Amino acid sequence: MSQAQKTDLRNQPLGVRFQKAIGRDWQLWVLMLPALAFFLVFCYFPMYGIQIAFKDYKAAFGILDSEWVGLEHFQTFFSSYYCGRMFANTLLLNVYGLLFGFPLPILLAIMLNQLGLERFKGFTQTAIYVPHFISTVVLAGMIYLFFSPENGIINHLIEALGGQSIYFMIEASWFRPLFVGSDLWQNAGWNTILYIATLTSIDPQLYEAATIDGATRFKKILHIDIPHLIPISVMMLILNCGSLLSSNTDKALLLQTSGNIATSDIIGVYVYNVGLGKAQYSYTSAIGLCLNVINFTIIMCVNAISRKLSEISLF
Amino acid sequence: MAKKVKEAKGIRINETRSDKVFNAVNLIFWIVVLFITLYPLWLIIIASVSDPDAVLAGKVVWWPKDFSTMGYEAVFEYRELWLSYANSVFYTVVGSVLSVFITLAAAYALSRAFSGKKLVNLLITFTMFFSGGLIPIFLNAKSLGLYNTRTVMIIMNAVSVWNLMVARTYIQSSIPNELYEAAVMDGANHFTYFFKCVLPLSGTIIAVLSVYYGVARWNDYFTGLVFLSNRAYLPLQTILREILASLSISGSSETFFAAYADNLGGLQEAMRKAEVAKYCCIVVSTVPAVVLYIFMQKYFVKGVMIGSLKG
Repeated sequence: MSQAQKTDLRNQPLGVRFQKAIGRDWQLWVLMLPALAFFLVFCYFPMYGIQIAFKDYKAAFGILDSEWVGLEHFQTFFSSYYCGRMFANTLLLNVYGLLFGFPLPILLAIMLNQLGLERFKGFTQTAIYVPHFISTVVLAGMIYLFFSPENGIINHLIEALGGQSIYFMIEASWFRPLFVGSDLWQNAGWNTILYIATLTSIDPQLYEAATIDGATRFKKILHIDIPHLIPISVMMLILNCGSLLSSNTDKALLLQTSGNIATSDIIGVYVYNVGLGKAQYSYTSAIGLCLNVINFTIIMCVNAISRKLSEISLF
Repeated sequence: MAKKVKEAKGIRINETRSDKVFNAVNLIFWIVVLFITLYPLWLIIIASVSDPDAVLAGKVVWWPKDFSTMGYEAVFEYRELWLSYANSVFYTVVGSVLSVFITLAAAYALSRAFSGKKLVNLLITFTMFFSGGLIPIFLNAKSLGLYNTRTVMIIMNAVSVWNLMVARTYIQSSIPNELYEAAVMDGANHFTYFFKCVLPLSGTIIAVLSVYYGVARWNDYFTGLVFLSNRAYLPLQTILREILASLSISGSSETFFAAYADNLGGLQEAMRKAEVAKYCCIVVSTVPAVVLYIFMQKYFVKGVMIGSLKG
């Protein structure tokens, strides 16, 4: 479409412009249609259903005709005994996850980039991605097997070293280390991919110049690698902050036992258990809505702060 | 890049002492990381072909002990497991083909200029940061009549915004616009251009999307848990959950395997086998995803990097 024709369109009334645009672009719309239909039906329809958070949903009446109850469900939740504990558990689990899960991939990417042996480097890169392809169920199964009190390899090792075997899965204090640790094992390698892509796109001349100036490898990392990694790191950090309260429900659900409930009781699991298990749809929709709003607010705030301070932002 | 640096060094200076120390530390660091990454996987494999008693006593550490295929034999007896395996293959293959096609078509459209593009982008990106939540999504599927059908396993999560972005960036950056202009000159419209030019040139990104979507579907247990009640429809991972990671500490795998006691030669024997059979289940269920990754690996790293660089 040439520039002249475009400006032509701009001077015409909206209806005509719309008609012309559709006449010109209809094939693109057809290609997009399946994806757009998906987002409409499976992402936007449920948003319409959020209103049951403010209603007393009864399946017989449906979403529209159920009775309005205002903020009742929110009040029940915020005044409930477990509310504080659940918020704390969810937040702490994610903060620990972020504390270790954010810097480790950056470190791994930098160190991998410095590996000289090409063959070994290729093998390493392939190997550290493998755990990412293991399912959550299998990961949880591995934790149950390896950390089993009588037969697990970890406890065999502890006993061989003269220690007492530990009941990892039913001690509340072990839930977070196991959750975060297994997350690192599974995803830290995989999450290097963006950073490695960034590092390989650095102009080699920079390294050559640094070598001539007598920079050691450590200095090159400090003055070349790290500055190049900052923009993408900040973006990843903003993205991660957006899920501070959402957490990996499917994994927590698998690792929760009656023993570790004091720390494993997080909001997502509670919504699943009470919402679907006990069919308290309205009440748990309200909790879900709170979470979403808080997460959305956090990501917008962090994004705005970052744009102010460093001019790096998602949008 | 690394090569060029080396050449530069070859001409001038040998590595300094601090660089040598750094390299040694780095090498040790990676050997430790590789051990931590790979040992658990190795342990699963050797335990799956060892005698249950040796596994339980913790004697299987580096190599298989008292080699036995007992666990695998036991696993082959469980009809329900293989039924769910077939279900998972079906959901994964059909679902991934559908996902890849829908994603590529939309990605192509979004890589071109058209009126309303900003709005479409906004609406799509918004779903990344805000969702209805578990319960409204569940009720929505139910009201559409999708609850407890095979369709729900294929349609749920059919398009991922992230994958869509990666594919769009790939098409934008690796297929030159001149090709489009030339095709239009020759009378192509968007359909012919997409099917005859874009698709054939998108091998790498098709491989990447297939791995992403395929593995996500293969590994998903939550969708089956939430949206299915008929056990005949359950995917592999949801059944595996009952075997491997049950919420009750008593370990439901024993009860699960005990149901097959008659086939397995008595309850006692079934319990004994159950322990090793867990390892075998892990191997049998994980191999497809890992093999797919290793086969696609070449395209994969390249494709992800191209797609993500500007995304």
